[in-house]
Amino acid sequence: MNIIISNVSDQPLYQQIKEQIKAAILHAELKGGDLLPSIRALANDLHVSVLTTKRVYDELESEGFIITRAGKGTFVAPENLELLRESKRHLVEVKLTEAWETARSLGISKSELYAMMDLLFEEDEN
Amino acid sequence: MNPILEVNGLQKDFPAFSLQDVSFSLLEGCITGFIGVNGAGKTTTIKTILGLVLKDAGSIKLWGKEMDRNERELKNHIGIVFDEGYFYEDMSIREMKNVIAPSYSNWDEAVFDNNLKRFQLQPRQKISTLSKGMRMKYGIALALSHHADLLIMDEPTSGLDPLVRSELMDILLEFMQEKGKGVFFSTHITSDLDKIADVLILIDKGRIVLNEGKDVLLDKHGLVKGDQRLLDQQTRKMFLTLHETEYGFEGVTDKKSEVRRYMKGVLIERPTIENIMLAYVGGE
Amino acid sequence: MLFNLVKKDFILAKKYWLLMLAFAIGAPIYVETQTHTMSGGLLGFLVTVLLSEYMIFNSVSMAEDKYKGSALLSATPYTRKTLIKAKYLFILGIFVGCYILYTITAFLLPSYMVTLNLLSLGISFLIVAIYYGFIVPLQYRFGYEKVRYISFFAIFIVPFLFPYIWIWFQSRNIDWQTIFLFPSVIQELLLFLLALLIGLISMLVTIRIYSQKDL
Repeated sequence: MNIIISNVSDQPLYQQIKEQIKAAILHAELKGGDLLPSIRALANDLHVSVLTTKRVYDELESEGFIITRAGKGTFVAPENLELLRESKRHLVEVKLTEAWETARSLGISKSELYAMMDLLFEEDEN
Repeated sequence: MNPILEVNGLQKDFPAFSLQDVSFSLLEGCITGFIGVNGAGKTTTIKTILGLVLKDAGSIKLWGKEMDRNERELKNHIGIVFDEGYFYEDMSIREMKNVIAPSYSNWDEAVFDNNLKRFQLQPRQKISTLSKGMRMKYGIALALSHHADLLIMDEPTSGLDPLVRSELMDILLEFMQEKGKGVFFSTHITSDLDKIADVLILIDKGRIVLNEGKDVLLDKHGLVKGDQRLLDQQTRKMFLTLHETEYGFEGVTDKKSEVRRYMKGVLIERPTIENIMLAYVGGE
Repeated sequence: MLFNLVKKDFILAKKYWLLMLAFAIGAPIYVETQTHTMSGGLLGFLVTVLLSEYMIFNSVSMAEDKYKGSALLSATPYTRKTLIKAKYLFILGIFVGCYILYTITAFLLPSYMVTLNLLSLGISFLIVAIYYGFIVPLQYRFGYEKVRYISFFAIFIVPFLFPYIWIWFQSRNIDWQTIFLFPSVIQELLLFLLALLIGLISMLVTIRIYSQKDL
């Protein structure tokens, strides 16, 4: 798994790290049951604060992506198909909302937008 | 994360200087950098925590226990490295160790011997013949040989070359691998902290100015560079410090989103700890 | 713990060990042969012990002042109280050391020296106790630099003053009755008791002074 931190990004550090771990899970680079580094080890490797890595793990855990077993470490949660599907859908929804907002502000109609989407699928099939 | 050290309302008056209402706590598992320019009150604060300087007011708690009432028990769990060393220079490494070691109930001779080997120190060497870097390593060997849970270091890196400094950083990170440990580390060389600090506390003229997670600080502040023509009465207010030349300006802001909104075309970079420190202590 | 701190002071003075050893053996021989053991060993021993204490204690104080090691020690579980106790024990240690050396020398050279009787030992102990009973608290209060001159003059004045004090006491026949009612062994032991009491009070005063100091 790669985690690349940008120093010019607007995103806060913890969010950059969190998104990239999440992406690795969604793209199955990290699989259910995989052991994650300790918050200290991850902080040392990324040169970030242990408070940042702790926040990342806390949030990922509350969203159900990882679990911490006391004394054993932090693991990727066993594959939860429902959660994975939900997250993947959410990822697309975010992008679609963006496209929809742009379209609306530029006066592009619903049917035009559908047509564009149809075109993209057709190109992909060819 | 539980607090290891809690300092509350610390007050100390000297004729020419005073600590004023110094309060902060150290979290377990964290390396806390204590930064400030020379004379800001770093050493005085550390000495007051350790009881070397007597406080006029305030409370100091370690692991929830009052320092005043449990001094010996608590100091048993602290490792200390002073900038000046405070060693009896005429003594050899072993002689000085023999003075210090019996004070700790859990002194571990094997760990000490290992540390000496690791740092390539000879037990018979006289302390006065050690270089500044060796002396610091000796101080660390002494401080880490009784299974301390809190390591307090006063300017351990001043006067050291970059290689030794980076070695020290590795030692600290290694120390932190174990659970429940903490490091409190004062320095005016902030680049040491860019890599390893988790929390930063900034002191200036005897007062705590900043106390926050390092990444939060770095996220919150921005180093802005751009065309001077963008500066006017309104936009100037967004900056903590501004440096203007005929080629453009450079400034530190804690209002990144406003800068982004009102000053199109500027470059916003992640600041260093030094940028932030100077932004807060620079002004009068 | 206390013992290690006393040992520390002896290590700090180790440069002077050989010199001191020679002095502690040589000085009483010299003084006693010059005075033909008139004072029953008192003068020889007193001069030796005062000067030995002075030189060793001063060289240790100088090292402490220069390296500020007590700051590091105070940051360890050693308490300030322990540091002070060790200092007094160190002074006592030098005294005992001088006495042992003197006794050995007197035993080996009976034609030059006499063994010290309890009275002479008691008087010497009392004088050392009075001297350090004042100097140590002063030094912790005002610092080594300022007090070193006082202690320097005092140490050279004591031997000169001593005979006068002795004569003054004898000329006055003040109320010795109550003391002289006791057998002489008790009188001599009283000297030790008085010396220990002075030492103890002085130690308590120094502990108090040191506990209020910024290091």
